Amino acid sequence: MDYGIYQDKLTRIVTDIARSHSLWILAYGTGCGAIEVPATMTSRYDAERLGVRGAATPRQADVLMITGYLTVKTLKRVIRVYEQMQDPKYIIGFGSCAINGGMYWDSYNTIKQLDLYLPVDVYISGCMPRPEAVLEGFAKLQEQIRAGEARGATKYKENLDYYRGNQKKIIKNWDFPDYNW
Amino acid sequence: MDIIILILIVFFAGAVLTAFSEKISTLVQDILFLGTLIVPAILFFTGVEMNTDTIISFNKVPLNLGMTPLSYYFALIVMGLAVLTGVYTVGQMKGKKRKGYFYLNYILSIGAMFGILMSKDLVSFFIFWEIMTWASYLIVIYNGKNVQKIGIKYFVMSAIGAYAMLMAIVLTHSLTGSFLISDLISGFGSWDHGMQILIPVLLLVGFGVKAAIMPLHIWAPDAYSNSPMSYTAIFSGALSKMGVYGMVIVFLALLTKVPEGALIRDIVAWMAAITAAISTLYAIKQDDAKRLLAFSSIGQLGYIVIGVAIGTPMAMLAGLFLAFMHGVFKSTLFMVVGAVEKQTGTTDFTEITGLIRKMPWTFLAALISIIALAGIPPLGGFVGKWMLYESLIQSDHFMLVTLVFFSSTAAFLYCYKILFGFFLGQEEKEWSHVKEAPALMVVPMIILSIISVVLGTFPQLIMKPINAAMTFYGMPDTYGVLWKESMLFNKWGSDIALTPIMYGIMAIFIVVAIFLFFRNRSRTRYVTTKDISTSGEIPKEHENLTFTRGFFQPFLRAVEPVMRKQIDKYMLSFAQGIEDLFEFTRRIYNGNGQSYAIYAMIFLIILLVLGKNLFG
Amino acid sequence: MEGILLHILGAIATFLLAFFVGMTYGGIRRKVIARVQNRYGPPIYQNFIDAFKLFSKTTAVHHGAMHLLGPAFLIVSAVMALMVVPVLRDNLWFTNLNFHGDLIFLIYIMVFGPLGMALGAGQTGNPNSAIGVTRGLSQMVGFEIPWVMALVAIMIKYNTTSIVDLMNIQNEVGQWLIFQNPFAFIAAILASLGMFRYAPFNIVGAPTELASGPASENGGKFLFTMMSAGSVFAFVKLTLFVDIFLGGASNLIVLVIKTFLLYMIPVLYGVVNPRYRTEQAVTYFWGWPLLFGFLAIIYSVYF
Repeated sequence: MDYGIYQDKLTRIVTDIARSHSLWILAYGTGCGAIEVPATMTSRYDAERLGVRGAATPRQADVLMITGYLTVKTLKRVIRVYEQMQDPKYIIGFGSCAINGGMYWDSYNTIKQLDLYLPVDVYISGCMPRPEAVLEGFAKLQEQIRAGEARGATKYKENLDYYRGNQKKIIKNWDFPDYNW
Repeated sequence: MDIIILILIVFFAGAVLTAFSEKISTLVQDILFLGTLIVPAILFFTGVEMNTDTIISFNKVPLNLGMTPLSYYFALIVMGLAVLTGVYTVGQMKGKKRKGYFYLNYILSIGAMFGILMSKDLVSFFIFWEIMTWASYLIVIYNGKNVQKIGIKYFVMSAIGAYAMLMAIVLTHSLTGSFLISDLISGFGSWDHGMQILIPVLLLVGFGVKAAIMPLHIWAPDAYSNSPMSYTAIFSGALSKMGVYGMVIVFLALLTKVPEGALIRDIVAWMAAITAAISTLYAIKQDDAKRLLAFSSIGQLGYIVIGVAIGTPMAMLAGLFLAFMHGVFKSTLFMVVGAVEKQTGTTDFTEITGLIRKMPWTFLAALISIIALAGIPPLGGFVGKWMLYESLIQSDHFMLVTLVFFSSTAAFLYCYKILFGFFLGQEEKEWSHVKEAPALMVVPMIILSIISVVLGTFPQLIMKPINAAMTFYGMPDTYGVLWKESMLFNKWGSDIALTPIMYGIMAIFIVVAIFLFFRNRSRTRYVTTKDISTSGEIPKEHENLTFTRGFFQPFLRAVEPVMRKQIDKYMLSFAQGIEDLFEFTRRIYNGNGQSYAIYAMIFLIILLVLGKNLFG
Repeated sequence: MEGILLHILGAIATFLLAFFVGMTYGGIRRKVIARVQNRYGPPIYQNFIDAFKLFSKTTAVHHGAMHLLGPAFLIVSAVMALMVVPVLRDNLWFTNLNFHGDLIFLIYIMVFGPLGMALGAGQTGNPNSAIGVTRGLSQMVGFEIPWVMALVAIMIKYNTTSIVDLMNIQNEVGQWLIFQNPFAFIAAILASLGMFRYAPFNIVGAPTELASGPASENGGKFLFTMMSAGSVFAFVKLTLFVDIFLGGASNLIVLVIKTFLLYMIPVLYGVVNPRYRTEQAVTYFWGWPLLFGFLAIIYSVYF
């Protein structure tokens, strides 16, 4: 009997539980959504009890929160930040603007659909989503991680050409270093 | 012929030959230069015997030469450093102008230092002292920059020291009728009380100038930073130790016989401690590596002088041990700065960044010396500092130990500044052309770093000569005994005290560090220093993100009240006062005949009025 | 041979104990902060989860040799410091190198790791890291003075620098040093506020100012190493305080109680304070703590 598989499985279950209960977020505060993050973290809703906690730099973070619309300029920075994060990493798209452009549908310089450019694991709908919804989003992400479904980073690596193509289409002054994990 | 005289002849003849061989070829000159340094070193380590007397006479003036255990110990520093920095100098001076001038003075000052150490009478001591001073003065002004300001400062301070020393020598001769140092020591106890205080103080002023003790230190930062780095290694490593050498004699042999000795000891120790603290703060402030190291040298010399001045066996041991260690690590650091200067053309921390991957060996040498300087175990600096703290606590100098602790903690700040400023931080395109320094410069640095590692692990290697020196001047034999008596080494035991624990520490440290290094390396990916988290920005090639300006600004703001008072300013205002006095005298002698007539009249009147009282 | 084996096992046991206690205390601190802010707070074992997650991160980047060595320096020096601090009195398991325990040696060993880490942080090239390092070093100069004065006061009182001797003396006399020289304790505990780097002295890794300072380029395993080193260091400091001021501990329960009480001082002081500016954090230690240091020395010399 091969114990290796079970050992691997056990390790994965344990690490997944640990990962799901320790989500260090890098809140990329674009748009108006950033105002909901403090409310989520502070005493009324207290996201820290779920293991959610702010991280200072992308190197330390697990979750990238994109809280609203993204202009083309910001998109470049967001991609950069995402690529600097260490695996495994997840993205939470926040509010209707990240999902389909929301009220910026007709705007000339914002993107409409975030997951064309970055692999989003969880979307939180609303304009703006209330802290309850944000917590719900975290819970959803935790579920996904435990089920092994939060594979955004792998997806990004596998479909790098697709994402890069989309990114290059919209970012004109392209000067990114290679993403070669 | 006696071997000491032979060594001196080699030095002085070699100096002249080297100077004039410039016309033949630079290669010949370099070889002659190295030969002049290496041959005496070989002769010294093989031939010179302890306690032999040699007398050479010039016009009935006899010069007594010979070696004592103390001078042997200091000669170890001088000769060892002379050879290693000599090799380095050849590398550094390659392609520079006026090499002959530099080499001449270089060899002369080393020969003179050797002469000082071998002198058994005060006349030859003074002669060699002056040769050393002059040679080093000529090197200080070698660069030709700010000769007026820097040269004069050094010159005046040296002159003050020399005159004080000369006065002491003349007084000694008038009291004993002999110039021999041994006569001075043996006769000292029977002199009258005033002389017993005056002569040591005068000598201390003379030595204090070279050891850069406040308030006699004002020449040092400029002189150290203005001479070429290959000489500053000698300047700070060996030449300043001549002052310490003299102080050791004064404190060991003379002041033990005076009741007020304890007071003088405390005063000197406090002055040295304040020197150490203040110059450490100034070192933190500097943005130029040369000046930083110059101030740091003054601070480190402060520790040495504290140890020597306190003068208990343990403190003396600490002072002498630190003197050796300082010679090793500080000259390495000056060499590092010289190497960086040669490769990049500047020593400004705000300009150079990220040389670590370009000059790895230089960085290694710098790192080891910095660890030794900061006094972090297991390197040699720690052993010395430990003994110093220990002796200060044992001899009830509680405030002093706090001050020393403060300055040695503050020293971490400038230590980090050196390493960060040159080697760490962003790797800029501006410096991408920089290569490792030539082997002639790297090898001496590495050898010296190895020496500091070895001495940290086996401090007893130089404890032995130190002990011989101390017993020669009548201190109890402390080798082995001291370690048992001391409260620090109580549990650590016997003669070989530190070795096992140091082994243990090093083993643990090296194994785990290497393990973690490779472990992390196999699972991590190298990224350039441009790939950092800067709010999602991608720094451009030309954008310098290194933090260099105002490096310790908040700290300096915190200690600002202490640094506002500068001894320089007091000195200058004193000089201004003297000038005003001269101005006043000039007004009296105004060259007008009538005024002189009035002066004569006034003088006569005074004589008439007071004549009876004065002469009756 | 058996002796060596026992020593190695003892060392491992000590390390595990320090890691466990340090991590748990960190978790308790987060809980305390949360309760003070009227939050529910993370579970006490949250730090273990975080550490495990960091350890299980699959990728990491480095900027060169010193960056790799920095965290290694940190953990090595933490373990070295742990080995020379006596954990329990007269206990076979935790002897380690106790008989070499020396205060001055310990002080220097304890700065060794942070300096190595500083070099690692320097090589990352992140300006925030360097700023954090300069702040940390400045602060160290600040708190080192009252701390050293407290230690000097103790050393001259008993004429020893060995930690084991200090513990034994306290037990022979039957009175803890905290009562024999209260000023020394006050000076030391005020210095410990800076040593622990909690608010208001958290200027080094200020997340909102410096993006966590020296740690800003470290993720995953590096951060795990730093976190464990921090926990071990916290344990070392607390144990040292218990050893020299509270007479040491004869069993683990007593040790945990004493260290926990001491730990609450910087934590509770920090909870209700904002962050100082760097020069304030430095000069803070040159006011009252310095005065207490002087008093401690005077008290030791004359009483």
